[in-house]
Amino acid sequence: MIRVESLTKVFRRPRTFPGPLGALRTLVTRRYDERVAVDDVSFEIPEGEVVGYLGPNGAGKSTTVKMLTGILTPTSGLVEVGGRVPWRDRSANARSVGVVFGQRSQLWWDLPLIESLRLVGALYDVPAAHFTGSLRRMCDLLGLDDFLDTPVRQLSLGQRMRGDLAAAMLYDPPILYLDEPTVGLDVLAKQAVREFIVDTNRAGRTTVVLTTHDLADVEALCRRIILIDKGRVLYDGGIDALVTAYAPPRRLVVHLADDETRTFDIAGGASVPELIGRVAAENTIRDLSIEEPDLESVIKQIYAESTR
Amino acid sequence: MIRPLAGMARVGLRFQLAYRSDVIMTVLALIAQVFLLRMVWTSVYGGAGQARGLTLEALLAYLSLANLQAFATTPIIPLIAHFRIRTGMVFFDLSRPTGYLPQMAAFQAGHTLGGLLMLAPAVPVVLLVGTITPTAQPLGYAATLTLGYVISVMMSLLICVIGFWTLETGAISLLYRLISQFFAGTMVPLSFFPGALGVLAEALPFKYMGYVPAAIYVGHLSGGQVVQAMIVEVSWIAGLAVLLWAVWRRAHRRVVINGG
Repeated sequence: MIRVESLTKVFRRPRTFPGPLGALRTLVTRRYDERVAVDDVSFEIPEGEVVGYLGPNGAGKSTTVKMLTGILTPTSGLVEVGGRVPWRDRSANARSVGVVFGQRSQLWWDLPLIESLRLVGALYDVPAAHFTGSLRRMCDLLGLDDFLDTPVRQLSLGQRMRGDLAAAMLYDPPILYLDEPTVGLDVLAKQAVREFIVDTNRAGRTTVVLTTHDLADVEALCRRIILIDKGRVLYDGGIDALVTAYAPPRRLVVHLADDETRTFDIAGGASVPELIGRVAAENTIRDLSIEEPDLESVIKQIYAESTR
Repeated sequence: MIRPLAGMARVGLRFQLAYRSDVIMTVLALIAQVFLLRMVWTSVYGGAGQARGLTLEALLAYLSLANLQAFATTPIIPLIAHFRIRTGMVFFDLSRPTGYLPQMAAFQAGHTLGGLLMLAPAVPVVLLVGTITPTAQPLGYAATLTLGYVISVMMSLLICVIGFWTLETGAISLLYRLISQFFAGTMVPLSFFPGALGVLAEALPFKYMGYVPAAIYVGHLSGGQVVQAMIVEVSWIAGLAVLLWAVWRRAHRRVVINGG
């Protein structure tokens, strides 16, 4: 469904100069700075898969999504979405993808939510009967009925996000790009968004590319993740395999009688009772726990290794 | 193609009507401006029968009409585009199956329709204050005004596109509004402009947004002058279309380069 090969994007911007006349110099300069945002990235995503596309801020995630939507052209490399090159066949590509950005909205701020949804129906030329059915399904799945006629500026963040999800899926695109769809949402709203993604993926075999910093989203939705940093792919594969391959050691956390807390790495093959016995012989233990490595600590470790 | 544009026009219309307090303030501002211009020009004329071929009545009718036209048709899209480029919301406009410029033009058309509906309550007052009587050249008036409006929208689209370079069109929009309204003749008819200023005003396209249709309405321009005005208007539209196409191609590449 999505094929990316040796994708590279280099941004070229006029050099900025400091100082009082710097702005003027920046305006007329012929010197440019180059920044590699995406560097030789390759992956394939089959139809119906939900993939987490992860990386720290500035890693190149959104740039990749913009190239997948056809808004940006790559500096080099190949992108195919549903057999089409997005920026060459922008109009057809637009009909096959839905996009949601957690940090910006496609809804018209001053108008009731229904107006933005009607606009999407018109822009994508969704036949009237199909639109009515789609809207009904979205209202049922996302609980939009209570605020369809409310101006978007009066909606809570969770309601707005549900509105944005509906706008992205009203024309049934086979691919959905989600860029931090749960940012700033409370636990219930996050849950609603996740359930919607699961339903959409299951019902329509929609392919989902999810960009997020919330690893709970990833664990709830994705079996595969692509990790990138500084524009390059660090890992592409299953979450379980990632944890097994990169897991840092388990840790024994001991709270001592004098309110001191100490931690001990449990090396592979080490005996936990033996370690506890040794610590107990030298200290008075008030409480203890064993920390299993989670996805977050695994990813933290990978990022740390990549910056070394 | 029709349905997407109709949808966008509907949003433009709803956007215009979203703020009722704005509607009231705009109507009041228009009436106040027409009243003030009437006071000033009545004083300037004193007892004089006519100046530069215009009687006081024709002048007042002209100014009232030109201002009514300007209030109803002043484009909003440079402001909309400015906001959407700065906030990155332009991403969604660019990711639609319909082109960016047709979307903006349709939004403007809907917004203008909303403006006409909004100004409807002020029309009787303006007609009365401006002592406007029915025109002898309704077709010439409607045709030149419509073509002038198309020129105005195309100029606004150019400013929208400039935003892809500057990311900031607030100051340019303000400057454009000032220049276009002045050279459209909404304060002073173009026939009163002295020497070089008059030549400049004649050469620029802004007169087709105010002076030319209003002067045709009050009978100051007629016959062959109306036909000639329409031919020049159509030439401006053709020229602007080519310019817009060329500038958009470059801007589009820039969006593609800079990431919107």
